[in-house]
Amino acid sequence: MADTPEAVRKSIRTYLFVGAVLFVGTVLTVLVATVPALDIGHHGFDVWDAILGLAIASTKAALVAFIFMHLNHEKKAVYWIFGSGLIFVIALFALFALAKYDPIFDNFFYDPTGTAVKPMAL
Amino acid sequence: MEIPFVVQPRKDTGLFNSKIAIWLFLASEVMLFGGFFSAYVFLRLGADYPWPERTLPVLPGLINTFILIGSSVTVVFAWASLKLGHWGRFKIFMGITVACAAIFMVFKGIEYNVKFHHQGVRLKDYTVIEGHLGYEKENGKPVLNHHGKKIEENQILIETSGLTYNTVRFHKPWIEEALTQAKHRGSKIFLSADVSAVTKPGQPAETIAKAGDELSVALLERVKTAHLAARAHNGKLRTSALRQEWKEAKAANPGKRDWQISSGVNIDTAALAPQLLTEIPSVAFKVDPPSRFDFKPRDIKHGETQSRLRDDTSVEGKLLDSPMVFHYVDAIDFRHLAMRAVKKGVDPIVAIENSWLIKNDQAAREAWEWNKLQTARLEKELLEQYGVDEKTGKPKREPTAKERYRIGWKELVAKADGVNRDQQKVTIKEEFMGPDYQGREGKHTFPHLSVPRNEIRFASKFTPAWNTYYAIYFTVTGLHGLHVIGGALVLAYYLFFGRKMYETNPEWLANRVEVAGLFWHFVDLVWIFAFPIFYLM
Amino acid sequence: MSAHSNDHHDDHHHNPGFLSKYVFSTDHKMIGIQYGITALLFLAFGFYLMMVMRWSIAYPHQPLPEWMSWIFTDNWKARWLQDGKVTGETYNMFGAMHGTIMVFLGIVPLGFGAFGNYVTPLQIGAPDMAFPRLNMMSYWIYLAGGLVMCASFFMESGAAKSGWTNYSPLAGFADGQIVNQWLAGQTQWLIGLVLLITSSLLGSVNFITTIINLRARGLTWMRMPFFVWAMLVTGFLLLLAFPPLEAAGIMQLMDRVVHSSFFMPSGLFTKSEGLADLSGGGSPLLFQHLFWFLGHPEVYVLLLPAFACVAEIIPVHTRKPLWGYKSMVYSVLVLGFLSFIVWAHHMYMTGMGPAVSTFFQTTTVLISVPSVVIITAMLISLWGGSIRFTPPMMWACAFIPMFGIGGLTGLPLAFNLADLHLHDTYYVIGHFHYVVAPGILFGFFAGILHWYPKITGRFMSPFLNQLHFWPSLICMNIIFFPMLLQGMAGFHRRWYNGGDAYLSKAADSTNVFGNTVAQYIDMNILMSMGAWTLAVAQIPFIINLFTSWKFGRKVTSDNPWNATTLEWATPTPPGHGNFEFEPAVYRGPYEYSRPDHAEDFIPQWEEPKRTDSSAPTKPSH
Repeated sequence: MADTPEAVRKSIRTYLFVGAVLFVGTVLTVLVATVPALDIGHHGFDVWDAILGLAIASTKAALVAFIFMHLNHEKKAVYWIFGSGLIFVIALFALFALAKYDPIFDNFFYDPTGTAVKPMAL
Repeated sequence: MEIPFVVQPRKDTGLFNSKIAIWLFLASEVMLFGGFFSAYVFLRLGADYPWPERTLPVLPGLINTFILIGSSVTVVFAWASLKLGHWGRFKIFMGITVACAAIFMVFKGIEYNVKFHHQGVRLKDYTVIEGHLGYEKENGKPVLNHHGKKIEENQILIETSGLTYNTVRFHKPWIEEALTQAKHRGSKIFLSADVSAVTKPGQPAETIAKAGDELSVALLERVKTAHLAARAHNGKLRTSALRQEWKEAKAANPGKRDWQISSGVNIDTAALAPQLLTEIPSVAFKVDPPSRFDFKPRDIKHGETQSRLRDDTSVEGKLLDSPMVFHYVDAIDFRHLAMRAVKKGVDPIVAIENSWLIKNDQAAREAWEWNKLQTARLEKELLEQYGVDEKTGKPKREPTAKERYRIGWKELVAKADGVNRDQQKVTIKEEFMGPDYQGREGKHTFPHLSVPRNEIRFASKFTPAWNTYYAIYFTVTGLHGLHVIGGALVLAYYLFFGRKMYETNPEWLANRVEVAGLFWHFVDLVWIFAFPIFYLM
Repeated sequence: MSAHSNDHHDDHHHNPGFLSKYVFSTDHKMIGIQYGITALLFLAFGFYLMMVMRWSIAYPHQPLPEWMSWIFTDNWKARWLQDGKVTGETYNMFGAMHGTIMVFLGIVPLGFGAFGNYVTPLQIGAPDMAFPRLNMMSYWIYLAGGLVMCASFFMESGAAKSGWTNYSPLAGFADGQIVNQWLAGQTQWLIGLVLLITSSLLGSVNFITTIINLRARGLTWMRMPFFVWAMLVTGFLLLLAFPPLEAAGIMQLMDRVVHSSFFMPSGLFTKSEGLADLSGGGSPLLFQHLFWFLGHPEVYVLLLPAFACVAEIIPVHTRKPLWGYKSMVYSVLVLGFLSFIVWAHHMYMTGMGPAVSTFFQTTTVLISVPSVVIITAMLISLWGGSIRFTPPMMWACAFIPMFGIGGLTGLPLAFNLADLHLHDTYYVIGHFHYVVAPGILFGFFAGILHWYPKITGRFMSPFLNQLHFWPSLICMNIIFFPMLLQGMAGFHRRWYNGGDAYLSKAADSTNVFGNTVAQYIDMNILMSMGAWTLAVAQIPFIINLFTSWKFGRKVTSDNPWNATTLEWATPTPPGHGNFEFEPAVYRGPYEYSRPDHAEDFIPQWEEPKRTDSSAPTKPSH
C-alpha cells in the first residue's frame, strides 16, 4: 500500500512517468486538433475530433484518478461514494441527450431518409 | 470528548474521517461540474447560431494545462516527502505547487482581460463584427464620465430638454452622471415648476421644492420622503374606507356571495379626498439649454423624441445619430448570416454580398474578396491532396464554414502582409493578448468602421453576455479558477503554518496534505476536460 | 478540512460560556435544536404567507383584515396592497416565497437538520458528528441563506415572484427594472439558494462520514435503526442532487447580473422590456432539467426523515419489531437510486418527445413500488401489536393514511396522458400538500413528541396534544381534499383570485363535464376557513412546546418509552460527548416482545447473558 514510506518511495518513479504521459497527452490533443494533416474525419472540427479529444482527456483523467489519487488501491467505501457520483453524472448526460433528441421524434439517431438537419451542421 | 478516527483509519472501513469526507465532497463536485458540462452539451446541441468552435487562442490554454499538470505532480511529491519525513523537500514541492496556482491565475486573468475589452456586434442581417471601439473625444482629448473613465463610442446620444425622475426608483449614480454631463456641456438641470403637496391632512399644500431648484440627490430624497409618507397615509385611509364599504354591503345583501356584490362596492373617493395627502410619483426637470446627453445602450430604451431609462426616468429630447464606432475592426464573421441564408434556401454567398456591411464598406468588401480567393485556393489544395469521394462525387475534404465565412484577425494580418492564409507572422505576445493594433497600424491591417445604431441587433463585449458559448466558458473556467484559488489557499496554509503540526503530529499533517492533494488533483481533472472542450472543440 | 477536535480535551472540566454553549455551539444536539427552532419559525412564517394567499383566493375583492396585515408597516402595505387588497404581484411573491420557505427553509432543515443532527449520532453511538465545526457552519450558512431570502420582502423590488421553481425566462426578467441587480429580490433568492445548497452540502458530507465511520462497536450495517438508513440515503440525495441545481442557480445568477443567455431563447419579447437586449440562443428547458434533477430527489429529502421518525416510533409504541426491516432498508436504497431518474415527469408539458416521456413515466411508476413497500411495512407493523396511543403514536398513525392519500393521488400525475389534464391544476397542489403537510409534518410532530423527553427530560402535555392533533387532522383534510376536486374540474394553481375572473364568463368556461367555475368557487371559502382554523390549532402546540420544557411531567428514567435504540442509553438530556460508557451494540434495533425474554424489549446495548441463546457474535469493528 502507498501508505508506508517504502511503498511511497517505490511509487515515485510511477508518478514521474505519469506526469510525463500527461504532458505528452496534452501536446497530442493540441496537435490532433490544430494540424490539418492529422485530421481523421473531415477537414476542420467534426465528431471524430470530439471523440478523439475526449478519449485522450479521459485517459489523462483516468491516470490522474488512478495513480495520483490512488484509486488503483483504495478502500471499498471510496469506490461506492465516488461511483455513485459517476453513475448519476452519466445519467444526467444520457437523459439530457435523450430529452434533447428523442429517438421517436428526432432523426438524430435514426435517419432512414437522410434528410434530417444534423445539429452540428452549419 | 474526542472524535475517533481523525488521524488513524477505522479498521473495518480502512479510512480516516476526512478522507471519506473529501471523497464525498468530490462526488458532489463531479455532479456540479457534470451539471455545467451537461449544460454545455445541451446548449451546444440546441444552439440556433453557429457555435464558435476553436475560437480561443490555444497557447495560453496549453501553457495553463502544463502548469496545472506540473502542479499535480509536485503536490504528490510534497505528500510523498512528508510521508518519507523530508520537511525541506515538502516545502520546495509545496512551494512550487502554490506558485503554479498563482501563475495559472495570472494567465487566466490576462485571458479574461483581453476578452472583456473586445467588442462584438451582431447586425440586423446577422453579420457579426468584432474589434475595438474608439473613445469619445473633444479637441483631441478623451471625454471622461463621472468616474473619471473614458467613454466608448457606443452611446445613445439624446439632445435632452427634460428629465422626469421616478421619485421612488431613481438611481443615484445615474443622477451624478447626468449632473456631470450637464456641467460638461454648460447646461443646468432644474425644476420646471414648484413641487407642492399636502403633507398634513386638511392643511393647504406646502411647497417642497421651488421651480428653478437644481437637480440633486438630496432634493429627490426630500420629495421621496414626502411621497412615501403620503402613499402610506392614503393607503391606510383607503383600506379602512373599503373595509367599511364591505361591511355595509354585506349587511345590505345578506346571503349573497362576494362576487355577486363586489362590483357595487367602491370607495367613495370624493368623501375621502379632503383627508388624503398628495402623492408625488415623479418630478419633472428641465435642461437648459438643451444639450447632448450620453446614455449606455443597455440602460435606455430609446425613442425618437422620448426615451426611458431602466430606473423609469423619462428623457425628453431628440435622438441624435448614435453610431457604434470601431477604431479597429479585427474580425468579420458571416457564419450566422450564412446559416440563416441556408435555412431560408438562399445561396449564402449571395446573401453575404447583399449584406449591409459589404454594400457599405470598402474595406470589408476587399477583405471578403480576398477571403473568397483564399477559400478557392484552399478548396483546390484539399481536392488535390485528398481527392473525390467516389460514392457522392463530392470532394473528400472541403473548407470549413469558419474558413469560408469568417475573416479573423490573423486573416486580416495575412492580407495586410500580402501573404496567404496561415503564412502570416504573429508574435508570441499577440498569440496571448490578441493583435497588436498600434504596431500594425502602418499597414492599415484593421479597418475603421462606423455602424449606425439602427443596424445593430445586439452588441456586447466578449463577456458571458456575448453568446452562450462565452457564457458557459466564463462560468466553468471562472468556477474552476475559484477552485484553484481555494485549493491553493489551503495548500499554502499547510506550507506556511504546517511546521508546528509537523513536529507534534506528522501523521495528521500528512493526512491533511493527502486530502487537500486529492482536491487539487480533482481541480486538475476538471481542467483536463475543460481545456479540450473549450479551446479545441 | 478536518476539524481541530483535539482542542476539546478538557470539555468535561470547564463550563462553556453562554455564547459557545447556546449560540456558537459545536455540539450536534444544540445544533439540532437550533435547526429545529429556526425551521419551526420559518414554517410559521411560510404558513402566514399562505394565510394571506388564502384570503386573496377566498375574498379577492375585500381588503386584507387587520389581524393578518398588522405585521407590515403602512408604507409596505401601500406598496404591495391595493386599497388593502392583495394584488396579483403580491400574491405571486407570497406564493413563490411560501414554497421556497416551506421546502428549503422549513421542512428540510427540520427533518434533516434537526432530527438528523440530534438523533443520528446518538443512535449510532457516536460522541458527536465527525466534523463538529463544519456542522456549526452548516447551520449558520443555512440561517444566512434564509435571512437573505426573507430580507428581500423589504426591498423596493420585493421578494422573488417567479414561483418556488424559479423558471426562466420569467425569473430571468423579473425585477429587471432594478438597476442594481444585486439588490433585486429575484437575485437575492438565488444568492440565498446558493448559500442553502452550500449548507446542505456541508451537512450531508458530515452526516455520511459520521454514519460510515463513527458507528459504535458492533453496530453493523444491518443493525442500524431504519432512521439512520433513511438519513444516510437523504444525505446522498442532498450530496448528489443539489449540485446540478447549484449549477443552474449560478447560471441564472449570471443571466441576471451579467446578462448572459443560458436560459434565454432567441427573440424573446416582453411587455415591459420589448425585444430583449440579449444574445439569446439559450434554453429555458435546460433550467427545468437542472432544477428538477434536484427537485425530485428533494421530495424524498423531505419525505425520508418523516419515514424515519415514524418507523422509529411505531415499534416503540406497539411493542413489536418493525415488520420487514430488511425490505424497508433495501426499499429506501432503491428509492434513493430511482429518485434521480424520474425528474422529467414534472416536465411532460414542455414538449419532450414520446420516448423520453415514456422513460420517465416508467421510472416514476416504478418508484411508487419502494415507497409502497415502506408504507405497507409500517402498516403491517401495527398488526397484532399492543398499540399504545401515546401522543407520538397518534401522529404516527395519522401519518400513514394521510401520506397514503398523498402518494396515491400522485399516480395519475405520473402518467403523461392523465397529466395533460391535471398539470398545473389544484389537483397537483392537493397531491403534494397531502404528502408534505398532513404527511411529512405529522411525522415530524410525532418525532418531536417522541424525542422531547430525551431532549428536555420532560414529557409534552397529552391534553394540549389532543387539542393540537384533532383540529389539525380535520383542518388538513378540509383544506386539501377540496383541492383535488377543484383540480379535476380544471382550477389552475396560479389564480390569485381563486377563479373569480372566470365567473363573468361562466358560460364560456365550462369544463369537459359541463361544470363551471361557479360550482366550485365556494370551496375556496371552506378551504380558507380550514387554513385559518389550522393556524389556531397550532397554538396549543406552541404552548406545549415551550411550557413543557419547564413544567411538563418529568421522566423517571433515561429510557421512558422502554425503547431499544442507542439514543435512550444516554443520560437525560445527554451531555457533551453523549455517552457515559463506551457504547457497544449486540443485536438488531427492534428487539421487542421476544418470547424468550422476561421484559418486552431488549436494548441494543444490553450485554447478552451467557445463557441467552440469541447471544450474537462478539461485537467488533
